[in-house]
Amino acid sequence: MSLDASSALGSSTADALPRPLPGRDTIIQYGMALLTVVLIAAPLLPVLYQSFLDRALYDSGQQLTLGNFGRLLRTEGFALVIWSTFVFATLTTVISQTLGTLAAVLFGRTDMPFARLFGELFLWPIYLSALVLSFGWYTIYGPAGYLTLLVQSIFDGAPWNLYSLPGMAMIAGVSQAPVAYIYCMSSASITDPTLEEAARVTGAGTLRTLWRITLPLLMPAIAYSAVLNFTVGLELLAIPLVFGDPAGITVLTTFLYNNGVASARPDHGLVATAAVLMLAVVCVLVWLQGRLLGNTRRFVTLGGKATRPRPFRLNSLRWPLCIVSAIYITATVVMPIGALLLRAFTSLLSPMVPISEVLTLGNFANMLEYPVYPRSIWNSLIVSSVGGVIATAMVALIAIIVLRSDFRWRGALHYVALFPRAVPGVVAGIGFFYAFALVPGLGGLRNTIWILVAAFTMHFIPVGLGAVAPMLLQMSPDFDRAARTQGADWWTTSRRIVLPLLRPALVACFIILFITFFKEYTTAIFLFAPGSEVIGTTLLQAWTQGEVGLVSALATVQILVIGVCVTAARAFLGVKLYG
Amino acid sequence: MAELLIENLHKRYGPVKAIDDVNIHVADGEFVTLLGPSGCGKSTTLGAIAGLDQPTSGRIRVGTKTYFDGEKGIFLPPEARHCGLVFQSYALWPHMTVYDNVVFPLKLRKVSTADCKRRVEESLALVEMERFQDRYPHQLSGGQQQRVALARTLVYQPEILLLDEPLSNLDAKLRDRARTWLAELRTRLGLTTIYVTHDQVEALALSDRIVVMNGGRISQIGSPQEIYTRPADSFVADFIGTTNFLNGDVVGAPDGDGQTLVSLADGQRVLIKSDKRPSLGDKVTFAYRPEQMRLAAANDRAIGGSIVEADVVSHSYVGGRWQIGLSVGGNQIRIETQEATTDRQLRLWLPVTGGILFTERNHGKSH
Ligand SMILES: Nc1ncnc2c1ncn2[C@@H]1O[C@H](COP(=O)(O)OP(=O)(O)O)[C@@H](O)[C@H]1O
Ligand SMILES: [Mg+2]
Repeated sequence: MSLDASSALGSSTADALPRPLPGRDTIIQYGMALLTVVLIAAPLLPVLYQSFLDRALYDSGQQLTLGNFGRLLRTEGFALVIWSTFVFATLTTVISQTLGTLAAVLFGRTDMPFARLFGELFLWPIYLSALVLSFGWYTIYGPAGYLTLLVQSIFDGAPWNLYSLPGMAMIAGVSQAPVAYIYCMSSASITDPTLEEAARVTGAGTLRTLWRITLPLLMPAIAYSAVLNFTVGLELLAIPLVFGDPAGITVLTTFLYNNGVASARPDHGLVATAAVLMLAVVCVLVWLQGRLLGNTRRFVTLGGKATRPRPFRLNSLRWPLCIVSAIYITATVVMPIGALLLRAFTSLLSPMVPISEVLTLGNFANMLEYPVYPRSIWNSLIVSSVGGVIATAMVALIAIIVLRSDFRWRGALHYVALFPRAVPGVVAGIGFFYAFALVPGLGGLRNTIWILVAAFTMHFIPVGLGAVAPMLLQMSPDFDRAARTQGADWWTTSRRIVLPLLRPALVACFIILFITFFKEYTTAIFLFAPGSEVIGTTLLQAWTQGEVGLVSALATVQILVIGVCVTAARAFLGVKLYG
Repeated sequence: MAELLIENLHKRYGPVKAIDDVNIHVADGEFVTLLGPSGCGKSTTLGAIAGLDQPTSGRIRVGTKTYFDGEKGIFLPPEARHCGLVFQSYALWPHMTVYDNVVFPLKLRKVSTADCKRRVEESLALVEMERFQDRYPHQLSGGQQQRVALARTLVYQPEILLLDEPLSNLDAKLRDRARTWLAELRTRLGLTTIYVTHDQVEALALSDRIVVMNGGRISQIGSPQEIYTRPADSFVADFIGTTNFLNGDVVGAPDGDGQTLVSLADGQRVLIKSDKRPSLGDKVTFAYRPEQMRLAAANDRAIGGSIVEADVVSHSYVGGRWQIGLSVGGNQIRIETQEATTDRQLRLWLPVTGGILFTERNHGKSH
């Protein structure tokens, strides 16, 4: 021992570490946990409570009862509602899984020309809301749709009818097929290509290899995304509302909408009970998803262009399959979206009238005349940007508490934070509606966009966590441990080390939430009021009034904003979006 | 600067006993190495001292400050301990420059800006990295990162210095240089240091004392010389150097000189001197280092040792020498020679003194 440490370092006094406020970490962690629990319980408890009451929960003199359940089951036509819901969800799942799997194999694993371009276009429906897609399909395949008229003039009547369960399921299936596609693609890229090569070496032909090796390897991805899509099929409101209602087809979501919002004298006991029923079913399905795949993989991101297995040779089928794919993409993606955009710039869209004669900006000019349209665009932008920032901040805090702290209840908090996966949008909407009716102090918020921010945030916390958690899990815990041993408490470590390192994931999280909030309508339908409309709710209102031109113009705004966001995020930031 | 006392420390992960009753007393300014194979609980012990993981039970005290006491329910969070820990991965924060990395602990301590600058420079000078202040970690080589990590730890003068396999991520050449450099630095600083490694060469070269760990337990504590020449059990002997083990039965109990006669499985006999006193019929293991054994010529007589017949099972050129694998009474051993051999059988001379006798059943090649 020649010298001691301090003289070697030229200083003689050890530094005292200023103690941070005692318990600051604990306060932040408990505070955040409490906020999360409150936000997530806020819509659920009132719905549960209401389902056991004999009258509206804001009336006086209510009594606890079990009668609602019996009443619901005896409600006329309710059995048919359940049946239609089941058929719709099942058909949707079958269609989306078939299309998604075919697309994954064809666009992802073969040497078909333009496979990559088709793959990109195939994803587009998931960026847009089902509501906008419905309008697109209506414009082209509806009773007065462009293609319907064209076909009618050649044949006698069109061979399709969107106002039926199969028609609705077709739209839903096409818009959900990207989910199956994404899961298949991400499993195809982690699947060991040597298995297939081995099969080919032994002399198995292309089709045989596909059928006997590739498809079985995709089975877990198909099964998992099937449960996911079935759940989405149950929760979907837009398509049944646009196409089912006029044809007298009611599913559970439209049942809730019609009896809860659209009705003059809503039967809240019945609505809440149906909502609880739906919640229970979706809970089981989400539990099933967890069984099929580890919980954290729910929000798989597309990416990891590692080693692509050698593509299958299609040989003489290359061009025929390419043409079939081109027709499919044109018919289900390009035409519905294109026609909607075109309709926005015309006064009428019909094969009988040349387009050059009807081109106009009148729809947009019209839109500016009614304050509700600019207002809902503005509200949507505010809800998405400010709400997106708030939600991202909340998600970031939850993520670091759950994954990067020794908070006592972090396991429970994780569970709670992921629970909204099991809460359908309609149930969340009804629940927040009740919550704001029930708690008098919150009345001031009731007719503002902040109630939408709260509801959207609650509903999409798991989506945000899905964007943030993978990066946090990959980040070495030594980074925070180093800061802790050097004297930084948990909060300082989080602020100075963990969150700055997490920035790319937080940006991705914000963009995903921005897009998700921007296209969300289900929850909003139950919560908006004059003055707090968003694009989704205004679209529906305009639709009900038959303002097709205005609907197209407003939908165009939504498509453009989302298109710019998605393109910019992918091009400049390299953000992997979940779709 | 302080002494460190670890008493009856236990850490369980479910059924796994990561640390099992560890007791260590490190004197002020002492440099102690935790040595053992991967998974033996070295990092867990270090983590317990730094406060990264809460032990199941036991006591840890540094100077007058109790870090952990299972019975009294004391557990200081890591930020209240004032330890310096250098991670195996270095854990330099990638979003900060070298300067920002090193100044971080000073900023936490609200050191004035001028002082910060001076001390960061001194600390970086100590590890010869003062020219790299503005670089980001990814612009540094592994060896440079390791030095910055050390500077970041030394800059706030921790009570004790904890180093978790700091050299293991360096390539062989760099590791030799870094070891020499670390040895110099340690004599200059004189900090109480716990050094973790699985490399016995590092441990022997750097330490005042070595703690050999195996399966969460301490096998032996002692100076490098003690550990090398008098390993407490066959695990330590095996781990600390390339050692050849033979199994046999005691056929002649130790005489007054402590010489025991052992019979190998094929009946060949070996005489070995030890302070252990096994009794007749005991199964024993005894060990020699390669440098203690030699080949015997045909006319050699067993002076000061025993001569046994060995079958050649392999021989390979290892650069300048030949390594010969032998089978002696069912035991596999290895020796090194200058010349190749074509013989199928060799005569091996084993010394009476210098070998190590263990009375346990099997030598513990459990790792
Ligand atoms: N977080 C943990 N959970 C479960 N087991 C662990 C954990 N950390 C370490 N272990 C186990 O404790 C034992 C000791 O680990 P460690 O201290 O890291 O070993 P070393 O640093 O000596 O290689 C190992 O068997 C390891 O598997
Ligand atoms: Mg280790």
